Order: sequence, then structure tokens, then C-alpha cells
Amino acid sequence: MPNKLIKLRDAVSKYTRDGMVYCSGAGLPVGSDSLVFGKEMLCQGRKDIHYLTHCCSQQVNLFCAAGVCNKVEAAFSGLEVYGFANGVRRAVESGKVVWEDWSNLSMSLRFLGGALRWPFVPATVNIGSDMQYRSAFNPDEYPCKTKIPDITDPFTGKVYGALPVARPELAVIHVTMADVEGNAIFLGTEWSRFELARAADQVILQADFIVDTDCMRQYPNLVRIPDLLVEAVIPWQLGAWPQCSVGVYDSDAEHMAAMNKMLGTAEGTQEFRKNFIDVWQTHEEYMALIGNDKIEKIMNNATTHLMDPYRKWIKSDPEIATLMTQSIFA
Amino acid sequence: MEFTRQEMMAIATGREIRDGDLCIFGVGLSMLAGYFALAYHAPNAKAMTEGGVYGSSPVGGLPWGIEDNRISANATCFSGALDALGFLVASGKCDLGIIGAAQIDKYGNVNTTGFWDKPEDPFFCAPRTRLNGSGGANDIACGVKRVVVMLAHEKKRFAEKVDYLTTPGYLEGGNAREKYHFIGGGPVSVITTLGILRPDPVTKELMIDSYYPFSSIEEMKTNTAWDLKVSPRVSVTPEPTAEELDVLHAVDVTNVLKRK
Repeated sequence: MPNKLIKLRDAVSKYTRDGMVYCSGAGLPVGSDSLVFGKEMLCQGRKDIHYLTHCCSQQVNLFCAAGVCNKVEAAFSGLEVYGFANGVRRAVESGKVVWEDWSNLSMSLRFLGGALRWPFVPATVNIGSDMQYRSAFNPDEYPCKTKIPDITDPFTGKVYGALPVARPELAVIHVTMADVEGNAIFLGTEWSRFELARAADQVILQADFIVDTDCMRQYPNLVRIPDLLVEAVIPWQLGAWPQCSVGVYDSDAEHMAAMNKMLGTAEGTQEFRKNFIDVWQTHEEYMALIGNDKIEKIMNNATTHLMDPYRKWIKSDPEIATLMTQSIFA
Repeated sequence: MEFTRQEMMAIATGREIRDGDLCIFGVGLSMLAGYFALAYHAPNAKAMTEGGVYGSSPVGGLPWGIEDNRISANATCFSGALDALGFLVASGKCDLGIIGAAQIDKYGNVNTTGFWDKPEDPFFCAPRTRLNGSGGANDIACGVKRVVVMLAHEKKRFAEKVDYLTTPGYLEGGNAREKYHFIGGGPVSVITTLGILRPDPVTKELMIDSYYPFSSIEEMKTNTAWDLKVSPRVSVTPEPTAEELDVLHAVDVTNVLKRK
């Protein structure tokens, strides 16, 4: 199988375009998400993105604040204990972003249906609520009959709802570790990364660690995303910062709050971009921005034992640099 | 015994959990209430998260998010949302869920989506205030056997009609849930900062079941936008015991209660 390592910049340039249906994984407000990929999409000026996600993350918050997306379909728009997502609130309340509400199970089912190429998924949730009767995408239709249409069970005659399936054009999924071919293991809950990787037309991995394929051969039952589904792999340690990556680093409480505060205004969003996105080009510069003290702090957490079985297969920075030169994208 | 409103609310919520229950909590006060119950009177209850973290308890403080490192450090299983909210919740296997609310109506229907300038206008427009949306709350309310709702008891939150029905309680009351064939049983209690409401067994309208030692029926009614009925069996909620408070504080290692 080919070596699919790709530089962050090249991946964004090659696989994203304005107006696309984009999905990030796992789409958690505090945990795993492909944040660094989203920051690079902002740098490359992507706009009019139609964003599918389980929950708000700081990537969704940033996209809303900076005008990268204009449509979002998601189950949750907050940042949990870090509070309401200020960028989302500002964009949704002003009408700049149209936010279609679903629940977490309905998003999971929509990805499952998309993965199986089903025409729709029968719903036992969201029905009877305003998530069925009101649609931000069809604001003039009430009660809305097209978002979750009624469907009759052909066996019992009972009426349920029909969820539309979700098939993003591109899913960019944060994983704890991947090999160069695109086999991935993630620690922590997978949310819907399994279904999402199969629902999307194209899948890119953003990995904290690159490991030898022998790691996958040792734990093949833990490989929930196989290379068969993956277009490219971006090695980027701490790529979910300031959110957490279970087994590797904790969320950065200080930066989570500061980022959310800045995204609350247009001026603050510009300041955020200037101070935290435009100042790095390379991974070394990215790590320097976070700083050694902070890195040490967030990597000293109660989950690090989860990485122990895999450490012997982790590729060093020089090894990754060499592997990069052997990639199909080199 | 000295205790705060938040402590009373957390302990009252925790008391809703029975030993052996399979439970699902949100972050913050509901998770504190849940882990208080596991540590105090329900050692055989099991907690799960919406994304499929099973068998864990918080390490180093209450979690920042339902799937973060603090809740993942000692898990026995990492699964996924389809498993947790689907195979365990939508199947009816989960016993109890604790959800938060920004607004609630007399039938326990919950709004966590937003507030609108003209909520009576059914057509969708941008909200005046965007809230967090459902998350997994709608799924929990459709699937689990017993739902507990926690919220501050204020008139603007206890509305005749919610601005947006995010999560079904008893819909229009009575047997209205039957139309949708929900496998779950609906809300069994609404734990507020002033007392506890429970649904009338037939009409499903929420009634004052008990009020806290520092509260009153009148105060609860004054802070409710509809004519709040009183259960014939109304009583004073037993105040927290010293032992309950000790366990609650031990669970609250990062002082969530103090921040409230």
C-alpha cells in the first residue's frame, strides 16, 4: 500500500474547495477534532463551507466567527464547561450562519445511513419536537414536512420519522495514531468516526502520532479506520490543541477560554488569527507558539498510560521527515 | 445543617438514582449529582457518556466535557455514539438520564436551543439568543426509562410554552407521547433551585411535589409563569445530611459548587 503522508498545507489545497460539504471528526467540543486542518482552511481563504458535525468544536466556532462556513448541521453548539461558543452565537444570531439542529443520535444515524448508501434512516428520536417541525434551511415551512418527514412502518402501520442521510464530500478526522498507509487507532470514544469514515466521499486523517504498520498488525482489531478508506495522512502532533486528545494531552483551559472570548467579536477574531494562526508556518513554529511549559502541563495528565502499549512503534520527527520524502505526494 | 441551594439541588437530583441503574449524565452539576449518588447510596449504579465512555469515574476533577481526559482515564470501554445513544439509550436499556434545561413548560418539554423575540411565530428565523441545542438530550428523553431535568427556578424559564421544543417531556400532556411510540418513560422529576416537581400520573402536568427547607410553595408558584399546581402529598424535601454533604464535597474536588 502507498505511503500517503501529506503536508498540512498541501492537503488543504488539494482536497478542499469553497462551498463544499465538509465534516470534521470526532466533532467534540472539548476532545478530538481536526482543529489544525480547520485553521489552515481559514488561512487558504475557504468560504461558504457547509459544515456537518456532531457537536460544536473550536473549529466550528472559528469557522463561524471568521466567515469560513455559512451552513452548519449539528447536534450541539456549545463548548460544554467552557461555555457557549461565542463565534457560533454571534454568527447564528446575526443570521450569517444558518444552523440546522439535530440530536447526537440523529447525526450518528445520518452518518450510518450515508455510509450504507441507504435512502433514509427511520427515526425514533427528534420526532414530535421542533427539530422535526422547524427547519432553519426551510424557514417558511411550518410544520416542516421535509426535514424529518413522517414515514409509515410497512410492518406495523405506525408512524415514525425519516432522517436524511449524511454524505460529506470530505471528512477530516483527528486520530491518535496512524501509519503512513492510513490505518488508524484512536484512544477515547470514537463518537461517529467509524461511520463518518465510511459515509464521506474522501477521508483525510490528522494524526498526533505516526506509528509503524507493525503496530496495526499487533492490534488489528483496534484499527477502526483502515487504509482502504483513507486518501491522505497529515502528521501533526497536538493537532487538536486547545482541545484534548485522550491518552496524549489534556485540553488547555486557559487557551480554550481566551480563544472563545476573542471569537466573540470581529476584532477579536482578527486578533486571534494574527496572534495564533498567522504566526506559524511549520510544525516546529506551531509547537513554539504553544510553548514548552504549556505542552509539559497538558501532556502531564491522567490518561497517558493509555499510550503505553503503542510507544515502541512511534516514529520520530526525523523518521517522519524521511517518510515524507517517500510519499506518493512528495 | 448549613448547605447552599446548589448543594441541595445536587443532592436532591442524586437521590433520584437507584442502586443498579444504568445512568447517563451531562457535564457540570448533573454529573456531580450523578457521581455523588454512585459514591453515596448507589454503588452498583453504572454511568455512561453519550459518546460511549463506560465504566469510568472522574479523575482529577469533574470533566470539562463528557468525553475528555478526566472521564476517560479509568474507563473500561471506549465505544461510540451509535452504541451509547442508540444501542443502549434508544433501545430502552438505560434506566435514568439527567438533562439540563434553559426553559421548561408545564408538561416537562424542554428548550435548550434558543430564545426568540417572537416565539409565537412558528416560522424559523435567527434566534435572539442562541443556546446549545439538543446534544443527546432529545435522544435521552425519547429512550431512557426515567428522565430527571435540572434547572434554575425562574419565571422566564418556567414558561407557559417553550420558545422551541428541543426535548420532549409529555408534549401536550396525557398520553401524547404514545403517538410517537417513544420507548422511554418521560420526565419523572424536575429538580429546581427551589424544589421538586413531578408529573400528575394522568394529565402529566408538573406539580409541586416538595419544596426545600429554605423555600416555599408560594415562592415556587411566584417563579412559575403558569398556575403551578400542588400535589396533595406535598412535603418539605429532606435537607441534606452531614454525610451526604461530606460525600458531595469529596466528589466535587474541583469546586464546581463554589463556581455557581
